[in-house]
Amino acid sequence: MTAVIAATHLSKWYGHVLGLNDVSLEIEEGITGLLGPNGAGKSTFMKLATGQLKPNIGTVTVHGRRTWNTPGIFRTIGFCPEPDAFYDDMTGFEFLTGLLRFYGFSAKERRERAARALDVVDLTGDKDRLIRGYSRGMRQRVKFAQTIAHDPEVLILDEPLSGLDPLGKRKLIKVIRDFRSQGRTVLVSSHVLPEIEALTSRIVLIHQGQILAQGDISMVRELIEAHPHQISVRSSDPRGLAARFVADPAVLKMTFDPDGRTFVVETRDRDELFGHLAEAALAAGIEIEEITSPDDNLQSVFEYLVGK
Amino acid sequence: MTRIGATREVFSFFAVLGRRSGRTRTFMALGLIPVVVAVLARIFLRGRSGELAAVSTEILMVFFLQIYIVILSLFYGTSITAEEVENRTLTYLGTRPVPKPAIVIGKYGAYAVLLFVMVAIGLGGSYFILNAARLGDPALYGAFFRYLGVLGLGILAYMAFFAFLGTILKRAIIVGLIFGFGWENIIQYFPGSTQKFSIVHYLKSLLPYQPGAGGGRGVALLLFRLEPTPPLGAGLMLAAIAGVFLALACWIFRTREYLYED
Amino acid sequence: MATVKERGYRHWDGRLVERRFPWLPIARTGVRLAFRKKGFKFAFAAAFSPATVFLGLLYISERIEDFKALVRTNQNLLNVSPNYFKTFLTSGPFLFLLVLVLVFASAGLIAEDLKHSSLQLYFARPLKKRDYLIGKLAVIAFFVLIITALPWVLLVVFKLIFAGNFKFIAAYPWLPLSILGYAVLLTVFLGFYLLLMSASGRSTRYVTVLIFFVYYFSAVLALWIKGIFKTPYAFLVSIPANLQQAGAVLFGQKPPQPFSPVWSFLVLAGICVLSGIVLTLKVRSVEVIK
Repeated sequence: MTAVIAATHLSKWYGHVLGLNDVSLEIEEGITGLLGPNGAGKSTFMKLATGQLKPNIGTVTVHGRRTWNTPGIFRTIGFCPEPDAFYDDMTGFEFLTGLLRFYGFSAKERRERAARALDVVDLTGDKDRLIRGYSRGMRQRVKFAQTIAHDPEVLILDEPLSGLDPLGKRKLIKVIRDFRSQGRTVLVSSHVLPEIEALTSRIVLIHQGQILAQGDISMVRELIEAHPHQISVRSSDPRGLAARFVADPAVLKMTFDPDGRTFVVETRDRDELFGHLAEAALAAGIEIEEITSPDDNLQSVFEYLVGK
Repeated sequence: MTRIGATREVFSFFAVLGRRSGRTRTFMALGLIPVVVAVLARIFLRGRSGELAAVSTEILMVFFLQIYIVILSLFYGTSITAEEVENRTLTYLGTRPVPKPAIVIGKYGAYAVLLFVMVAIGLGGSYFILNAARLGDPALYGAFFRYLGVLGLGILAYMAFFAFLGTILKRAIIVGLIFGFGWENIIQYFPGSTQKFSIVHYLKSLLPYQPGAGGGRGVALLLFRLEPTPPLGAGLMLAAIAGVFLALACWIFRTREYLYED
Repeated sequence: MATVKERGYRHWDGRLVERRFPWLPIARTGVRLAFRKKGFKFAFAAAFSPATVFLGLLYISERIEDFKALVRTNQNLLNVSPNYFKTFLTSGPFLFLLVLVLVFASAGLIAEDLKHSSLQLYFARPLKKRDYLIGKLAVIAFFVLIITALPWVLLVVFKLIFAGNFKFIAAYPWLPLSILGYAVLLTVFLGFYLLLMSASGRSTRYVTVLIFFVYYFSAVLALWIKGIFKTPYAFLVSIPANLQQAGAVLFGQKPPQPFSPVWSFLVLAGICVLSGIVLTLKVRSVEVIK
C-alpha cells in the first residue's frame, strides 16, 4: 500500500531543543494512532505534516506533495488542532461557513456542508450561539466539525477527544471509525491509551522526539523481547496446576494472586508454555477457567518501551 | 480558487469579524467624540461660526492625522499577524487552500476599509457640523474629500508599515508606538530633507493649505516647519511605502514560522 | 508488520552536506553567545553612544544657524535649578518614555489574567481583592520609582559632586523631596490609570494602544476645546497637562496653565477614583458570560 503521509529523516529544532529527531515514517490508509507522553513530539509531527512548521532536516509529504507552503494540498487535508482557540465573535455555523469560503464553495453549498458537519457532532441545536458561550465539549466538537466540513481524504487529529464527556467520546470514536470504512486516512494523536485502543490497533509510538515502535499493537508486543510475556491462568486448583510445570524451562517466574484462584506466569515463549499448560491441566484433571495476557495491551507496550 | 478569489474570501471573512469586534466599537466610539464636541461647540457658540470652523477644522485634522489613524493603523496593522498568533487561530487559516500572501492582503484590505469607514464617519460628522454655515459652498466638499483622501492614504501607508512590523517582531506594538509617537512626532519637525523620513510629512504635503498661506493656530500646528514635497511626489511616495511594506509583509509571512507561546 | 527500535543513541545515516561558507555557523553562534552574557547588551548599546552624540553634532554642524538661534533664545539652557529638574521631569518626551516603559511592563497585568481566566485561581487562595490590586500597583510603582525617583535624586548628588560644594542643596534643600513627591504622584496616578486600561480588555496589544490613545487624545481634545471655547480650563481634560501642572507645584515653580493647580490634582484624583471603582467591579473571581 502506498503511503499517504510520508516522513523521511524528519528533524525539527526549537532553538536548541530537539522536537523531532530523525523521524522516518509512512502512514497508510486507515486509522493510525500516534501515541506518546506530553512533549514527545506528536504535535510537532502533526504541525510538520500540516505545513505549519518547516522541517529543519528531511521532508514530510502528503500524497507525495510537500506540505510547507503548498496551500493547494489542504483541499484534501482536514486538521483538528489541539489548542482551544476560536474566533469567539462568531457562531458555530458562521465559523464553519466562514472557513468553507476558502475552498471556493458557493454560499448554498457552504451552508449545507456546515449544517451536515454540525449534525455529525450533534451541534445543530446550538449552531446559532456564539462560540464564546459554548462549553468545553461543544468547542471541541465544533473544532472537529471544521475538520470534516469540506470532506477531506486525510484527517489529522491532534487530541480530538480531549474535553469530551464519555458519551461524546464514544460518539466521536464511532465517527472516526466510520471514516476508515470510507477509505479515508486518519492520523490521530493522544496520550490517553484507551482512546487509541478504541480507535485502532495500528500505532506509532513516539517518545522524546524519536519513533520507538510502529505497527500492530500485538505484533509490536511480540517484538519486545526484553520483557517476558505474562500469562494469567485462573483455575479451580491454581497451586496444583502450577506445581505441574514449575520446573518447565519456559517458565521464568510465577506469582499467585491474593484471590487464591489465579496465578501469573512469565515466559519468553508463549506458544511453548501454552502447550505445556494444556498437558499439565489434562494430566492433573484440573479445569482451567480462564487464560489471559495482562500485558498484551497498549499500556504495557508503552511502559516497556518508554522504560517506566 | 485563484489568488484573487482567495484574497476576496479572506477579505469577506475579516470584514465581518472586524465589524463585529468589541474593539472596533470602542475605537468607533472614540472617533465620535469630535462629533460630540462639534455639536456642543455649535450649541454654545452660535454667531462665531467662521472662526470656529477654521480653527476647529485644523485641530480636527491634528487629531485624525497624528493620533487617530496612527493608533488605529498600528492596532489593526499589527493585528494582521499578531492577532492570529496571540489567539492561536492562525492554524485555521494556515491549513486552508489559501496562499499566505492572500491572507495578509485580504486582511489588510478588510481592516483598511473598516478604518476608512470609521474615519469617514468621525471626520464627516464633526467637519460638516462645524462648517454647517457653509453647506452650500462646493469648496467645502472639495476640502472634505481632500482631507478624507489624505487620511485614506495615511491609513494605507501606516497599516502597511505596521503590518510589516507585525510579521517580523513579537512586540510590534511597542516598536510601532515608538515610531508613531516618537519618530514621526520628532522627525517631521527637522528642517531640511530629514523630515522626508516620516510618513506624516507626505500626508501633510497633500493638505489643502500650504505654509505662509495664512490660517488659524491650528494650521500653524499642522504646518510647523513643514517643507512640503510636491503633491504628486507625496502621493507616489505614500503609494510606494504602502506597496513595498505590504509586499515585504507578504514575503515574510510566507517564509516564516509562527509559534504559539505556551 | 511491526518494528521496534532500540532506545538510546542512533547513528544518523544521512548525508553530510558541505556548506558554501563553512565558517558562517561558527561566526553566528559566537555572536549569539556573546549576547547571552550578562551586561553585554548594555555595554554593546553604550558603545554606540559616542557615535550617537557625534551624529547629533553632525546634524548640528549642518544646521548651525538653527541651533545658534536656539541657544540665543534659551540662555538658561545650562542653568541647573529646580526649574530645570521640573522641565525635564514634566516634559512630553520624558512622560512618553515613562509611559512606554510602563506599558511594556504592565499593560498585561490584569488583561492577561482576564484572558486566561486566572482571577479564579488567585481568589481560590487566601487573597483579597485589595491584596491583588496592591500587588499589581506595586509592579507599576517599582518601575516608576526606578525611572523617576532613583536616577533624578542621584543627579542631585552628582550635581554636588561635580560642583565640589553643597551650595546647590543649601539653596534648594527641598529639591530631593520635590523629586520624591513628584515620583509618588506619578506612581499613584499612572498606577491607577494603567490598571484601569489593563482591566478594559483581554489583549495586551489592545490595552497598549488604548493607553496611548486616551493619553494623547486627551491632549488634543484640550487643544480643541481651548480653540473653540477660549478657556484655559480646557487643559483640565488633558492628562499630560494635568501632570505638568501638578508637577510644577511640587517643584515650587510657576504652573504652565493660568488656573489653580488644585483643579489638576482633583482631576487626577478623580481618574484614580474612577479607576478604583471600575477595578472593584471588574476584578472578581466569577466571570459572567453573556
